[in-house]
Amino acid sequence: MTSATAALLRVEDVGIRHDGATIAAPASATFEVAPGEVVLLLGPSGAGKSTLALALNGLIPHAIPATMTGTVTVAGQNTAVTPVAQLSTQVGMVFQDPDAQLVTGTLQDEVAFGPENLRLPVEEVLARTEVALRRVGLWDRRHENPDRLSGGGRQRLAIACALAMGSPLLVLDEPTANLDPQGIEEVYQALGELVAAGDRAIVLVEHNLDAAIAITDRVVVLDHAGRTIADGTVDAVVRARAEELHGIGVWLPVATLAALRLRAAGWDLDPLPLDPAELRAALDATEPPASAPAVPYSVSRDARAPISADLARSAAARLNTEPQIEVRGLSLRRGGSEILHDVDLTVHAGEFIAIVGANGAGKTTLLQAIAGVIPPPRGSVRVNGADIARTDLRTLSRQIGFVFQNPEHQFIAHTVYDELAHGLRRQKLDDAAVRVQTERMLERFGLQEKAGIHPFLLSGGQKRRLSVGTALVAGAPVLALDEPTFGQDRARADELMHLLRELSEAGTTILVVTHDMQLVTEYAHRTIVIGDGRIMADDTTSAIFADDALLRSAGLRQPPLGRAFAHVRHPELSGVTRLGDLPRAADPRRTVA
Amino acid sequence: MSAATIDPWVTAPLSRKFLHGLNPLAKLAAPLPAMALLVFTRDITTPLVFLALAYIVVLAGARVTSRMALLLLVALPVAAVVVGLGMALWTDASRIDTSVAVLTIGGWTLFGGAVEVGMATGVRLAAIVALALIAGLTTTGPDLVRSTVQQLRVPYRIGYTALAAFRFVPRFGYELEVIRQAHRVRGAHGGRGPFAALARWWGYIVPLLAGAIRHAERVALAMDARAFGAHPDRTERYLVPWRGRDTAFVVVFWAVSAGILWYFFPWTLG
Amino acid sequence: MTRSTLLSTRLLLVCAAIGVATGIVGGIAGVVTPVVLAAAPFAYGLVLGAHVLPGIIAQEVLRRPMVALIAHLMAALVASAFNPAWIGRFLGTALLFGAIQEGVAALTRYRAWGAWRFFISAVIIGILVAAVVFFVADLGKLAPWAQITYLAISVLGPVAWTALGLGIGASLRRAGVAARA
Ligand SMILES: Nc1ncnc2c1ncn2[C@@H]1O[C@H](COP(=O)(O)OP(=O)(O)OP(=O)(O)O)[C@@H](O)[C@H]1O
Ligand SMILES: Nc1ncnc2c1ncn2[C@@H]1O[C@H](COP(=O)(O)OP(=O)(O)OP(=O)(O)O)[C@@H](O)[C@H]1O
Ligand SMILES: [Mg+2]
Ligand SMILES: [Mg+2]
Repeated sequence: MTSATAALLRVEDVGIRHDGATIAAPASATFEVAPGEVVLLLGPSGAGKSTLALALNGLIPHAIPATMTGTVTVAGQNTAVTPVAQLSTQVGMVFQDPDAQLVTGTLQDEVAFGPENLRLPVEEVLARTEVALRRVGLWDRRHENPDRLSGGGRQRLAIACALAMGSPLLVLDEPTANLDPQGIEEVYQALGELVAAGDRAIVLVEHNLDAAIAITDRVVVLDHAGRTIADGTVDAVVRARAEELHGIGVWLPVATLAALRLRAAGWDLDPLPLDPAELRAALDATEPPASAPAVPYSVSRDARAPISADLARSAAARLNTEPQIEVRGLSLRRGGSEILHDVDLTVHAGEFIAIVGANGAGKTTLLQAIAGVIPPPRGSVRVNGADIARTDLRTLSRQIGFVFQNPEHQFIAHTVYDELAHGLRRQKLDDAAVRVQTERMLERFGLQEKAGIHPFLLSGGQKRRLSVGTALVAGAPVLALDEPTFGQDRARADELMHLLRELSEAGTTILVVTHDMQLVTEYAHRTIVIGDGRIMADDTTSAIFADDALLRSAGLRQPPLGRAFAHVRHPELSGVTRLGDLPRAADPRRTVA
Repeated sequence: MSAATIDPWVTAPLSRKFLHGLNPLAKLAAPLPAMALLVFTRDITTPLVFLALAYIVVLAGARVTSRMALLLLVALPVAAVVVGLGMALWTDASRIDTSVAVLTIGGWTLFGGAVEVGMATGVRLAAIVALALIAGLTTTGPDLVRSTVQQLRVPYRIGYTALAAFRFVPRFGYELEVIRQAHRVRGAHGGRGPFAALARWWGYIVPLLAGAIRHAERVALAMDARAFGAHPDRTERYLVPWRGRDTAFVVVFWAVSAGILWYFFPWTLG
Repeated sequence: MTRSTLLSTRLLLVCAAIGVATGIVGGIAGVVTPVVLAAAPFAYGLVLGAHVLPGIIAQEVLRRPMVALIAHLMAALVASAFNPAWIGRFLGTALLFGAIQEGVAALTRYRAWGAWRFFISAVIIGILVAAVVFFVADLGKLAPWAQITYLAISVLGPVAWTALGLGIGASLRRAGVAARA
């Protein structure tokens, strides 16, 4: 392969099948990366993007059992016959979970680990370490233990580690999937500086396009089967073929989604905007279609968008019913220091509440205290009038269901069926009743076929559904979820949130802790902002997200739509924060969220 | 560097005390013959002398922290006495000197010989432990691993796997805590008593190990991607050398051990 | 540079993970040791037997050469870092137990993975440990019934813990954890 084009990376007709899988994903990926170029790799969930990323430095087929067809060539070397160690000097990798990339005890040792493996002389190791750490802004903290960095900081460290390998190509697979808004901002700042320096090519797999698109030169799109269907500039692919990409389930920037929607409703938006600023500029430059109403969309919602009824719903709930959850003067100590300070909170039946805040603010602690996972002080938390601190565990699971971040943590049976039946059997129901209810639950969560298999063998999305099912099966009227979308792709996150919305509409009270602001604005009626163990704000979601100063002071950020519509000159669009509030075309082909 | 609780990564505090400057392997090897031979002693004097020797070496050669002082001055002596008394209770009267009765309760008598045998065992165990503490109290995990790689020629891939595994400990501990909480609220194996507790712990094992193995696989990928194992050796920035003083320490310690054993000769030949 | 290694990084780290996770059990065993020695010295074998776990689970899950020894070594190195006072004990038992488990597996050329194979190593470990502790703790001075109980328990301890380890390995296989190993 000594062609004239100086491609750094060439992927030709690559198909990869994991051992044990029946089909290859990707099936046939083809693209090239030139030195210094930033390529964004898009595709629906399961298309094989992560798998492909692992093939770019030879981890597939060398370290992971899988069958690969086609060829990957890195700087002229065929990855199938070149050892990973040798390829590592050409391709640096950054993975999703920052914790799983740490080996040593200080930042400096961590960055030095790669160059040391290459047997570089000590001075060279130290020089590379310094350059890499300075580039991601962590040089001053080089003697610290990586544990003390925030999630964003640890991911920047992972980028520094890849840089220190000296490789001209960097591959990042969803590097911000697990981070809070501030962490995401930090990582993209570091990447932006890297791109500005222009000496490294980047292949980026990312669901969060709002952050990624700004640094991208070229976009490669895989379809469901993992075949390359588009390869070109951002303008040629994302702007020109947005509807097509949207159709096959590729995630687009939220601003683009919003524009697509407005366009379908008659707004004249051409070219399509890719970020909030462009959307706002485009809107400011255009006139509303004749059919647009004069009142804000978020108020004149139609009956098909019940989620935007938060104001009405919260108010009605407050007026008509007794409070379902009452938290009074809750202070909680853990590990010798007070983590929650004098928290008061009232929740009514049927509310959908999001709890947000920076890392370490106390969100998990609050949710766990409400659900009795950690016992709160007596008298401080009441659910349906019963003091949680005095409720025995059997009754507790009938009052409130708790869904942990990692579903595997809470599975206790050997089959999916027993997993669901467990909660019913504990209530001493007879076998027939258990069977009927369990089967109803299996059907509701689409798990009938999986009844007999081990819960650990389900796919990620199925595991999540099962964990929600187990929390609900005992009939709990309240469901508490801790970062249920953590580590999941947008499609699965979306599927789960739709499920929660259905439950909420059927009357279940939902409390959810999350870092995903767009999800919060799309789904929650009410939002509680936690900062340093106190409630900083507690209001309807729209009111919370209208207050930019509040969000910033809590370490949060506006979701992209909020930024676009904050001061737009059209009154009917002003203050819109969610896609659901935008006008709909006559045929809403698919729900966008 | 950090005031955190247990961080196996903190490099040894700079200390002028000589034990901190020795190679970990020297500190392990020096008391080894004495420990092995103590196994076969039966008297009380020899282990006492070795106990004293170990204490002198540790107290003179290590930076004594309060935790260490507690271990050496309270925990170890108390444990020795408790174990000694326990052994005394279990000895068979027909195998010991029964000329002195220390205590008589009903038909049962505690003989002086039993106490003597018990105490000998207690002190012997304490001496073996104290000798092991010479290395234990003055060596950090990473240094031990590095010296096994640098002197014992343990493949560095194994050594560095161990270093990476230090990071697993807090993570798995945290995971276990979360699993326990999750199982508690699900009401898995409620109830009291040792059997319910066993059933509960059994339930934690699969989620814990499954998560652990998956995490390990991800870490392995990240290490491979950074050329781990590329060459038969790698650049070492932290050297744990074997110096003349290490040899001297081992030789002197062995000589002293031999001297003590020769002088007190705790075995009856024939 | 193109060096094919017997032990991939992945295998090494999985062994380490098994070593660390079972090390939590070993840590508990370490804490109760003085109590057992004082209260019922002849039952010590039951406690010490817990240290067979890393090798058993590693072999049952991975079914490869060297995994038992490495899992033991990792468990010992990590345990020593956190409780340095017991370095000698951790390393000693690890090397001894690991070598025996590895040796028995090697004798069957890493082909037979039946339960009996694991129990043979358990019995060997039991007898060896019994002999060493017998001398250290001067158990010859105990009453005959205590000595016999001691011997029986010393052998039974590793056997019981081996059975437990096999049970864990089987559960992990059922949960699909070992499928790709
Ligand atoms: N270790 C594995 N063993 C077997 N099958 C696997 C393994 N990893 C992934 N797969 C399968 O390979 C296919 C592609 O997965 P991959 O994770 O590459 O998709 P992706 O495009 O990255 O999706 P996402 O957007 O959800 O991250 C999926 O069907 C997945 O189930
Ligand atoms: N068991 C514990 N012992 C001591 N401190 C704890 C414990 N659990 C949590 N903390 C501390 O309490 C604070 C709040 O923790 P919490 O997990 O509730 O935060 P959070 O808002 O959920 O953060 P994140 O977004 O990172 O999940 C943190 O500073 C944390 O370090
Ligand atoms: Mg992926
Ligand atoms: Mg949390």
